Amino acid sequence: MRTKTPEQVEIRIPRRAEFVRVARMAACAVASQLDFTYDIIKDVELAVGEACANAVEHVADESCDEVIIRFTIGDDSLTMEVVDRGQGFDPERAGEAAAGDDWDEPGGLGLLVIRELMDEMHIDCDPSTGTCVRMVKYRAEQ
Amino acid sequence: MTTPLKIGARTEGDSAVLSLTGEVDVANAAQVRDAALKLVEGGPKHLVVDLGGTDYMDSTGLGMLVGLLKRLKEHGGDVVIAAAQPRVKRLFDITGLAQVFRIYDDVSAALKEARA
Repeated sequence: MRTKTPEQVEIRIPRRAEFVRVARMAACAVASQLDFTYDIIKDVELAVGEACANAVEHVADESCDEVIIRFTIGDDSLTMEVVDRGQGFDPERAGEAAAGDDWDEPGGLGLLVIRELMDEMHIDCDPSTGTCVRMVKYRAEQ
Repeated sequence: MTTPLKIGARTEGDSAVLSLTGEVDVANAAQVRDAALKLVEGGPKHLVVDLGGTDYMDSTGLGMLVGLLKRLKEHGGDVVIAAAQPRVKRLFDITGLAQVFRIYDDVSAALKEARA
């Protein structure tokens, strides 16, 4: 098994809906560097798109004008972090909303999709530093 | 590459068909919603959303469809889904929305059932 320093790719997009596609295209390009199947690459694309859409749609702080997307290619995994400087949302509440009938709850459906498609998902919300959605996809199903 | 969205619209009796070709996402879901509402305004009660040409949809697109469903049901209508491609159909499955919408393999079956 090879061991090397993880490689990183980072892009920044304006926090506007039309730029989410740029992040998605980057996700496809990076995921293609691993030996993922076409379906997994498309899952990675959708997960990154959902995290970026959350950052675009559900950040009330207008001074938060960009979203950072960071990809880390490890030996056995691809880690994606989508970071904004907004005050974030309550991830537990959003997840619960998606499981119920309130489909319009901010972030609910998107987080549910990410949870289903990725092997790991963590959300860190800190009013002083912003929100980071961290997702991991392993090379082989775990 | 991403595929620009094209929206087709037609009516058949008390049903309307909204055909979406390309991607439905956070950038254009509102455009689709507006086209759908215009199509059913004062006319058809039942809306068939033809997703045969839609190769990508995100949760914003799904949420928009749920909003349309709520609105039409309030007026005795319905929204049914037709011809969803496997990846889009999977999105309905994993979110539980496959239990909320009636989903058909093609538009003609959806039109038939929409009136039932």
